[in-house]
Amino acid sequence: MRTAAPVAVAFLSGVILVISFFFNEEKTVVGGLSQELLNWVIIVGGFTLLLGMVSIIRVNWAAVQRRKENWIYRLFTLIAIFAAAIPSLLPPSWSPLFGRAEGSIYDWLFVYLQAPMMATMFATLAFYIASAAYRAFRARSADATLLLITATLVMLWRVPMGEAFLNLFPGDVPNIINDYIMNGANLAVQRGIIIGAALGAASMSLRIILGIERTYMGKG
Amino acid sequence: MMGFWDRMEKIDRRWIYLLVGLAVIVPFLIPMKFPVSVSPEARSFYDAVEALPDSCTVMLVFDYYPSTMAETEPMAIVGARHLFSKDCKIITLTNIPYGAPSMAESVTRMVAAEYGKEYGTDYVNLGYKYGYTAVLKGMGMSIEDIFPTDNSGTPLSEIPMMDSIVNYEQISFVFEVADNATADYWISIVNAGYGVPMGVGCTAVMAPKYYAFVGAGQIVGLLGGMKGAAEYEILIEQEGTAFRGMDIQSLVHFLIIAFVVIGNIGYFAGRRHRRKV
Amino acid sequence: MSGIEIFQIWVMAFFTLALFSFLYKDNPAYKLAEHIFAGLTAGYQVGLIWDTIVIQKLWDPMIYGGKWWLFIPGILGFLMFARLFPKYSWLSRVSLAFVMGTTAGIFLFTQLHGLVLPQMQSTMLALGGEDGFAAALLAVVVVIGVISTLIYFYFSKEHAGVLGVTARVGIWFIMISFGAHFGYTVMGRVSLLIGRVQFLIEDWIGSFSQMF
Repeated sequence: MRTAAPVAVAFLSGVILVISFFFNEEKTVVGGLSQELLNWVIIVGGFTLLLGMVSIIRVNWAAVQRRKENWIYRLFTLIAIFAAAIPSLLPPSWSPLFGRAEGSIYDWLFVYLQAPMMATMFATLAFYIASAAYRAFRARSADATLLLITATLVMLWRVPMGEAFLNLFPGDVPNIINDYIMNGANLAVQRGIIIGAALGAASMSLRIILGIERTYMGKG
Repeated sequence: MMGFWDRMEKIDRRWIYLLVGLAVIVPFLIPMKFPVSVSPEARSFYDAVEALPDSCTVMLVFDYYPSTMAETEPMAIVGARHLFSKDCKIITLTNIPYGAPSMAESVTRMVAAEYGKEYGTDYVNLGYKYGYTAVLKGMGMSIEDIFPTDNSGTPLSEIPMMDSIVNYEQISFVFEVADNATADYWISIVNAGYGVPMGVGCTAVMAPKYYAFVGAGQIVGLLGGMKGAAEYEILIEQEGTAFRGMDIQSLVHFLIIAFVVIGNIGYFAGRRHRRKV
Repeated sequence: MSGIEIFQIWVMAFFTLALFSFLYKDNPAYKLAEHIFAGLTAGYQVGLIWDTIVIQKLWDPMIYGGKWWLFIPGILGFLMFARLFPKYSWLSRVSLAFVMGTTAGIFLFTQLHGLVLPQMQSTMLALGGEDGFAAALLAVVVVIGVISTLIYFYFSKEHAGVLGVTARVGIWFIMISFGAHFGYTVMGRVSLLIGRVQFLIEDWIGSFSQMF
């Protein structure tokens, strides 16, 4: 029961979607059924995000209760969760500060705290990539040299000053980079990766539908 | 005794950070305004949008997180400007839960005000629904079935612009702005499955992959990172934040190339020195 | 610029600088910002999912739209929470299996029809086209690159003999592509930094003149 029921559910839902691929979505029963399942998966999947949130609260709450290391910071995590969540759940008819619209607490926290912090977190990567370029980007072998030369050429090609520099050389170097590196070797590799990954995803899908692949269920 | 290159190799990373910081700040104070060339991929994207019939309906998709706003938002802004300038109707939506519904709202509202466009008749923000594959597939049959209301909760049946729009058949173009793999699903599900033409504006990190889709004709064009956004700004003759950012990009790229060169000289010099010892 | 606008800019600047301060070294301001960021990211989802999924997709259509059968995905959704209780966690497998099965059903053909076939089709180009020698050469480069890349990633057989040579060619192609990736990645990361510096210089430092 613990394994058979999920396998049966995965098989049925998968098969309906697969069959619907061959039928007119708007005019057939299979099409209508698959559309219903798509709506269901949006609902069920939405709950997974809520589950994740509950898990974060549990982990942080436990750490605060037991006064684990950095518990005071975890307390701020909890405060932030509730500060964003509670006002967004209250009806905007009570106050314009509630709900999700512009002017609400929820929106304010997003615009003035979350968005700039998310952007800054990723902006710090610019420093790390510069440091990595200095420390780790070495022409240790022929392969690494090839990578290094291409990276340098593309870095020059993608900026106006670099392009002006490349144009000092004869033979329209920027166009050669676009045609033979980006639309030649790079395109070929990306195509190979896309084809390989898509074949892998399709075969994995088949394994899930047929119940061969069950690792997503976890243990027990 | 530690040689010069050995010391250079072991230099505190914070000096590198400081140089990067300076390279970003200086061009802000002294703009250089190097000319930005337009790539064939951006040109074909622009041409495809330009060739759309006036007043057609286009999906402008905000599939990006606030983390990459500096790269992606200029694309969304120029896209909305180009589309509104052609009197196209815009449907915005997103597959990203973090902030994208609000970003779609603020960008389109700002650009709509520039062109005198009104919500509900010229543009609609459908907002977010969980599960991109199900959402993209489901809209093939009925957009209203997947998005019963717009982002603010108004039923689609009460929005005049949505009266004549049922599914992808009424959509002339998808302008996808993305910082993640959802663009792949727009291509594999919507473009391949329903034949809706589309163009992708993506972060620089993603761009090399999408050359394969341009090459295969699955997307009409590509805007790769800040340079792509700057190219589109030039094409619609409205220089914005991306164009201004290219000066800084130039300086930082040269700095990083210098880091690579110095790092390698240090590596080889150090190796020779160690061999001698 | 009003007082509240200046306050908002300073809030953004504080958290921006707090996160950047990690570049120097770990410190309490960074830790505080990091933890608040994590909390807001989790909390942000609650209102969004409640509104866009639970209300708009489940409650309203089920209660007011007559779609009573939506209680099935509703129950499946609630079963997800069984994961929190070890004794009943297996029940969440049913919900998970439904999501996996449906997604697999969509993937099976869209991956083949939408990615594999068009990409293969555009690789098989006629060499004697109107575009001349350069285009033909490029087409050959692409064919060699695609095949050698696929062979390099084919791990079921030892890379020896002809397979080994082709995989070696694949590595060269991959190095060129990854180099291009690195070049582009630098631009991407710098763009994000430009965005923050732009805020700090234009908005935050710009607000000084309003204050003093």
